[in-house]
Amino acid sequence: MGTIAVASEDDLIAAVCAARGDGRKLEIVGAGTKRRYGRPLDTSDVLDLSGLSGISSYEPEELVLTARAGTPLAEIEAALAGKQQRLGFDPADWGPLFGVPANAGTIAGALATDTSGSARIRYGAARDHLIGFRAVNGFGEAYKGGGRVVKNVTGFDLPKLMCGAMGTLGALSEVTLRLVPRAPQSVTFAVKDIVPELGLTLLRRIWATALEPTGLAYIPACASDGFADLGDIGAGAALIRIDGAREALREKRAALRAMLHGEDAIDGEDGDVLFAQIGAGAAFAGRPVDIWRIAVPPSESVATAHALAGTQWYADWAGGLFWLELSDSDQGAATRLRHIAARANGAATLLRASAATRTAIPVFPPEPQARAALTRAVKAAFDPQGLFNPGRMYEGV
Amino acid sequence: MELAPPDPAILARRDRIVAALKHILPDGVVADREGLAAYDGDALTAYRQAALAVVLPKTKEQVSALLRFAAEENVPIVPRGAGTSLSGGALPRGDAVLLGLGRMNRIVEIDYENRCVVAEPGVTNLAITRAVEAKGFYYAPDPSSQIACTVGGNVAENSGGIHCLKYGITTHNLMGVELALPGGERVTLGGKAFAPGGFDLLGVVAGSEGLLGVVVEATLRLMPKPPLTRTLLAAFRSVADTGQCVADIIAAGIVPAAMEFMDRRCIDAVEAYCAPGYPRDATSILIIETDGVAAEAEDAARRIAQIARAAGAYDVREAGNEAERERFWAGRKAAFPAMGRLAPDMLCMDGTIPRHALPQVLADIDRMSAKYDLAVANVFHAGDGNLHPLIVFDMMKPGELARAEAFGAEILELCVKVGGVLSGEHGIGVEKRDLMPAMFGETDLAQQQRLKCAIDTKRLFNPGKVFPTLSACVEQGHMHVHQGRVPYPNLPRM
Repeated sequence: MGTIAVASEDDLIAAVCAARGDGRKLEIVGAGTKRRYGRPLDTSDVLDLSGLSGISSYEPEELVLTARAGTPLAEIEAALAGKQQRLGFDPADWGPLFGVPANAGTIAGALATDTSGSARIRYGAARDHLIGFRAVNGFGEAYKGGGRVVKNVTGFDLPKLMCGAMGTLGALSEVTLRLVPRAPQSVTFAVKDIVPELGLTLLRRIWATALEPTGLAYIPACASDGFADLGDIGAGAALIRIDGAREALREKRAALRAMLHGEDAIDGEDGDVLFAQIGAGAAFAGRPVDIWRIAVPPSESVATAHALAGTQWYADWAGGLFWLELSDSDQGAATRLRHIAARANGAATLLRASAATRTAIPVFPPEPQARAALTRAVKAAFDPQGLFNPGRMYEGV
Repeated sequence: MELAPPDPAILARRDRIVAALKHILPDGVVADREGLAAYDGDALTAYRQAALAVVLPKTKEQVSALLRFAAEENVPIVPRGAGTSLSGGALPRGDAVLLGLGRMNRIVEIDYENRCVVAEPGVTNLAITRAVEAKGFYYAPDPSSQIACTVGGNVAENSGGIHCLKYGITTHNLMGVELALPGGERVTLGGKAFAPGGFDLLGVVAGSEGLLGVVVEATLRLMPKPPLTRTLLAAFRSVADTGQCVADIIAAGIVPAAMEFMDRRCIDAVEAYCAPGYPRDATSILIIETDGVAAEAEDAARRIAQIARAAGAYDVREAGNEAERERFWAGRKAAFPAMGRLAPDMLCMDGTIPRHALPQVLADIDRMSAKYDLAVANVFHAGDGNLHPLIVFDMMKPGELARAEAFGAEILELCVKVGGVLSGEHGIGVEKRDLMPAMFGETDLAQQQRLKCAIDTKRLFNPGKVFPTLSACVEQGHMHVHQGRVPYPNLPRM
């Protein structure tokens, strides 16, 4: 009972085997920044992986890094910055959303919850960057999946499955990531006083170009309070971030200017801070509200914005992701949001709410029957006794 | 390798099974001997075997009906796209129904607003790009068999290509599938939204080699065509310098669109075959492509040229026009048939290694070549360390096949030893199945197999592929070519 801190994979195996023998369930925790994401757990024991920490190997010339699961993200990002590299999935810091200090999360936590940020539209999500791992499954066995090279089709691609699984398939002990070079410069443009219909359409037009934007967000007037640094944005602001070496950036700026009509250029670093806030839901973090995320195909962004009229929202990912707040997510409100998402062929996730709300309302998009059966079968293949984070995603999963 | 003997209980029911299949699919069952011969293998030509029957559905509903029948009757299923697998992924079995998806070849939807195409599994890879290029888009994964290979096969094998260094392989460009599960039920995985939620089963289906279900529809990401492409050719006097150059380029933060390596033996072969005009005195060359907005492609090309010279390149050329660019690539694309003319038989390997290990591994392969007394040519995707050593031999000479296979196995074991993997893009299939324990331990393989069994509870889908059998007969990873006759001889091979 209580917290089981592990400092090695052997510790981890012992902890899982002991829990398995006693029929105890385990809540897997890294730095504990996102414990309130997902359905509430009914577990007595916390499996603390924060001691399983440290970069095991970093080969900049291979664009590959291996780290133990509990390694602080900040430690990895600092190491990469020294070599002008970065994590392609642009992990956002959701800690402050859940009332914990900023910059505290671990690498495995970011992968398991898929905190992919604004640059996801350019480089892909967490699942596109985890190329290998070691983990302990529900049988108490340590095993590995994937490899240490970027091009690999040997066996099932289990690393994909670990990303976004909320720790329900096992406890990661070590992860191997592919990295991307950091562009020498970036710049963010803000097109202000643009209404949602035009702003969201503009984002999609830019997304369809070869300018390879690393951020495409829209802030409507109703959410402007959350982005005070932007100043007066009138009817709303479209934010466009591009990067590259000096000459390339100059060319991209010129091409972009030809598509825009009046815009403010925001210095690269300030733009990065702004997009970090967008990825972190910072506009809503300090308010006593529930927070939802709705992913939709970008073509549905304008219709989704209309459907959300009267709600506080903003959009990222070229209009493919809506962040929104609700003062209280009762059944009716949840049903309404899921209906809006379904009509757009999208999916709504309840990112933050009270434990009572997360018990009453499905946190993750409910799955059709055949898909739900598949989900349960996959869970059972990795964790038949339901040892890990039981019920965190769905009932029994 | 001994192919597993067919289950006599299924063979005994063959007539009844064929009749039932014809009832489900009146115009799409092949069961006569000549018809079956046309489907008796894929591009792993060393192995041939007739299927119990071939079914050619036209709709997803028909696929479901066939799978429902297969589950009820406990008949194994082998899915097949165009049959271009180099690893035997679509190799039939005498006791299994071969499910050919070539007639499901419609592009269902082109959705420029969401930058995607929805296609049936039998659409060819190249047809996707052809359908959208007029609007300035393309589909990034470009396996060299792209004129023939299909979308469904690409998903099953997680196919790569020359440009996956920058743009990723199939899985990075796949947004969703409709999957027909064992038993016939269909589920949608992924879709047009960026984050559909739930377990990432789409990620596991990509590269699952037909072991988990049948793709009946796929949603593929379109990329905007880069405004400019630059193509360089750098010639070296030392293989070690060439390997160093590759490492230096990546370490400088440049991700070229493509970076391809050819050694002396390969250069000589393609010069004799199609005279692309490569420097004849080089030990090895790199063909490197950059793309992006004009300044980006040009700047990267300029920096790469500097890095190459610093690493020891004595000749660095840039293609001055499209014709020259095509000539640079022509030699690379002809490497396989060109090598095929040098000896009656050839094995093609497909391991990936960390890039820094290139010089060492190439030197070791040279040593092995002397040890086995067999010539080898190296041609590969240098940017991501994906090797394709070509071992030339003559099957008619006693003992040469066994020596060539032992040579190939030693190369793949070396790939794993230096931190690499057995297959970078050809898949495991039957070809490398028995080498899986070189890379994965028992527990690792058991976990993968548990996933397989969870979805395919009756183990009816593509049995005998990917996972080693209990009676492990040692086999080697190779693609077999006899008398220069490659499967699909008109296809360029990478």
